[in-house]
Amino acid sequence: MKMNRLLIAACLGLLPLALDAQMLDPALLTRPATDAWPTYNGDYSGRRFSTLTQINQSNVKGLTLEWEHRVTDVPGDGTIVGGKGSDPAPNSSTPPEIKATPLMVKGILYFSTPDNAWAVDARSGHQLWHYFWKTTGGIHIGNRGMGIYGNWLFFETPDNYLVSLEASTGKERWHVQIADVKQEYFSTPAPIVVGGHVIVGTGGDSLDVPGFLEAHDPETGALQWKWWSEPLKKGDAGSETWPDEYSMRHGGGMTWIPGTYDPELHLYYIGTGNPNPVESGRSREGANLYTCSIVALNVDTGKLVWYFQGSPHDTHDWDAAETPVLFDGAFEGKPRKMLAQAERNGYFFVLDRTNGENLVTAPLLKTLNWSKGVNSQGQPIGNSEKEATISGVLVSPASGGATNWPPPSFDPETNLFYVNTEASFSVFYLTDTDPHPEGYAGAEREIGSYGTELQAIDYKTGKAVWSHRFPSSGFPKGILTTAGHLLFTGDGSGHLIAFDPANGKILWHAGLAAEISNGPETFLLDGRQYLVVAAGDSLYAFTISQ
Amino acid sequence: MSHRRRTIGVAMALLAGATLPLIAQTPPGDPRPIERGQKTFVTTCSFCHGTRANGGQGGPDLLRSVLVLDDNHGDKIGPVILNGRPGAGMPKFSLAPSQISDIADFLHNSIHAAAERGGYQILNIVTGNAKAGQAYFDGAGKCATCHSVAGDLKGIGSKHDPAALQGMILMPRGDHRGQSARTGSTALTVTVTLASGRTFSGALEAIDDFSVALRDSKGEYHSFTRNGDVPAVEVNDPLKVHSDMLTRYTDADIHNLLAYLVTLK
Repeated sequence: MKMNRLLIAACLGLLPLALDAQMLDPALLTRPATDAWPTYNGDYSGRRFSTLTQINQSNVKGLTLEWEHRVTDVPGDGTIVGGKGSDPAPNSSTPPEIKATPLMVKGILYFSTPDNAWAVDARSGHQLWHYFWKTTGGIHIGNRGMGIYGNWLFFETPDNYLVSLEASTGKERWHVQIADVKQEYFSTPAPIVVGGHVIVGTGGDSLDVPGFLEAHDPETGALQWKWWSEPLKKGDAGSETWPDEYSMRHGGGMTWIPGTYDPELHLYYIGTGNPNPVESGRSREGANLYTCSIVALNVDTGKLVWYFQGSPHDTHDWDAAETPVLFDGAFEGKPRKMLAQAERNGYFFVLDRTNGENLVTAPLLKTLNWSKGVNSQGQPIGNSEKEATISGVLVSPASGGATNWPPPSFDPETNLFYVNTEASFSVFYLTDTDPHPEGYAGAEREIGSYGTELQAIDYKTGKAVWSHRFPSSGFPKGILTTAGHLLFTGDGSGHLIAFDPANGKILWHAGLAAEISNGPETFLLDGRQYLVVAAGDSLYAFTISQ
Repeated sequence: MSHRRRTIGVAMALLAGATLPLIAQTPPGDPRPIERGQKTFVTTCSFCHGTRANGGQGGPDLLRSVLVLDDNHGDKIGPVILNGRPGAGMPKFSLAPSQISDIADFLHNSIHAAAERGGYQILNIVTGNAKAGQAYFDGAGKCATCHSVAGDLKGIGSKHDPAALQGMILMPRGDHRGQSARTGSTALTVTVTLASGRTFSGALEAIDDFSVALRDSKGEYHSFTRNGDVPAVEVNDPLKVHSDMLTRYTDADIHNLLAYLVTLK
């Protein structure tokens, strides 16, 4: 229906869809693509499963490097410069790290890092254009990539602008501010385009500000709707979980990571970040809705339809921002539309995505020590003795979590959910004893880790069917599965590894110059299947040698 | 986001001028204006805004005020102080320009202190019971199996501050990640047994699913390709007991042990 309306609008000239070679057919966004990677997760489901089989178990040993492309985030000859800052200057003393999953449309890869966007030929790694945004500030920790609609690209900057570029040229169309950098907001997500909406979120937790999600008009950038992660005033839904308006306005619930979308239910799903102050709950008694929650919003209005809060009253910085993965299948003998999330707090949740009903809650780590069990709604029951104290409390997982933003994968052929986890420990110290603490209000000292594991989880039980323990610990990596019976992920030593998704057997590996830093992706181009992954400042493309 | 590397990210951002968060544009420099500003603030403003400027009896939290965040040395704050906000119930105050500038410095410094968590000070963490700590050391904790307060731990309480000492109790090598300590008695060691039966042992240099490297007692480096279980690789962690304890300690055990060890001057 949405598509019809857009097509009519396009015919009437209301939406000037460009007709050049790079144009994305918006219909592609609603079905799993094989000859494109048109949105952050490849499709709206967040499964990161490809139906492509050209690269498969029988030939994966022949997977070889087609090209490598290294980026520099310093403006050079031909760089298109935009932005509000003073001088175009290198934004970092260290090389850029590509955390984006590049879009691939009509043979061109589009990706971004903080303040930078590029178009690169997927056949050769040749750079077509570089766009540089002069920043006015914000923490430059990462950027998940871009959204595309027709010939229009969208990405967010650390100083909280939504910038739209022409895909064919890299020229800026417009930019709109979505949050105030002076309040310590900084933006990391990849915009997700759904119908006539560009959905954007933001981050920032240094100065206790409330989070939100917004939809913008792809044509003009105008705001269409805004959903706040917290109630705005007493009496609003959820306000009963905060002591007062003061604490609500300290907020949190940042929308760091792109969400997923069910076109039939018309619901957009996203996990929200932690409440503020981050490591002290003293001024915010209660569950603090809708922080650390999976929320389902009507994509046309931004209205909340249901929520599930995995970390009520979080005090350990455990954002629930990890990808909510959508799949259908049998549960206790009945077909269900489900949503699964491996959460930073160390729990794996399966929900009925039509209404948020909890189906499974299971711990991801044996070391997890902050909860006293699970309540009748499937929510972990926090142990208040594991909230930060002046003398310190030993908690597993550490604030970085059992897992983090790198995308997991669901393989509908094995019916397994794959996620990399780390069994980490930290001591949490309370540093601000004021009744109204500010900022983090606590300090963390990392103690160590029992290691990093790739887990293959049966969604019906939440238990791992197999797991692979990496010999060295490392930050959990992104995952891709394919119908070629392959699972691609990385280790802490800079390897890209292909596993058998049925049993965890290693089938192939390649050593890269850095640890993989995004979720691997795959697509078909000129009849050849490409596997593309980022590691540090470089993209690597692999194909089967011919 | 809030993942573990954010602190590093912030530190890096601070090194690079272009990405400096705006709040850091008034860095804490000369402490005197800040101290003067704090005094003036406490006597003049704290009744409504709280002694820490984070809100009080009817006055808003100034640490999150957009007007304060936009202010430069009092240029935005000054007019509000001098004119008041009659509609919002704020009276006017006749302060000198230097007093306004001092208050601005105090507010900007307070915002900086709240936002930059790298600078947070750990408070006095020695709250445990030293006697209970000693009993744990000699008894249930089995610390005395390897350690001696007259030997390796002699004077440990005067060598480290309490937070560092608490961290060392929990993991003497520091973070497992990165195998930081490759030498000394706490280094990870490895034994590699080839198909031929020949073995190599030494300090573990690097390991993953595809190779393993070690440095032997003569300082020579050896590396081996791994293919599944061949060659056989056995990693030994001399601090495994400490790792294993992480799931057994109560927080009281940790605090009592610390209270005991700080007495070993």
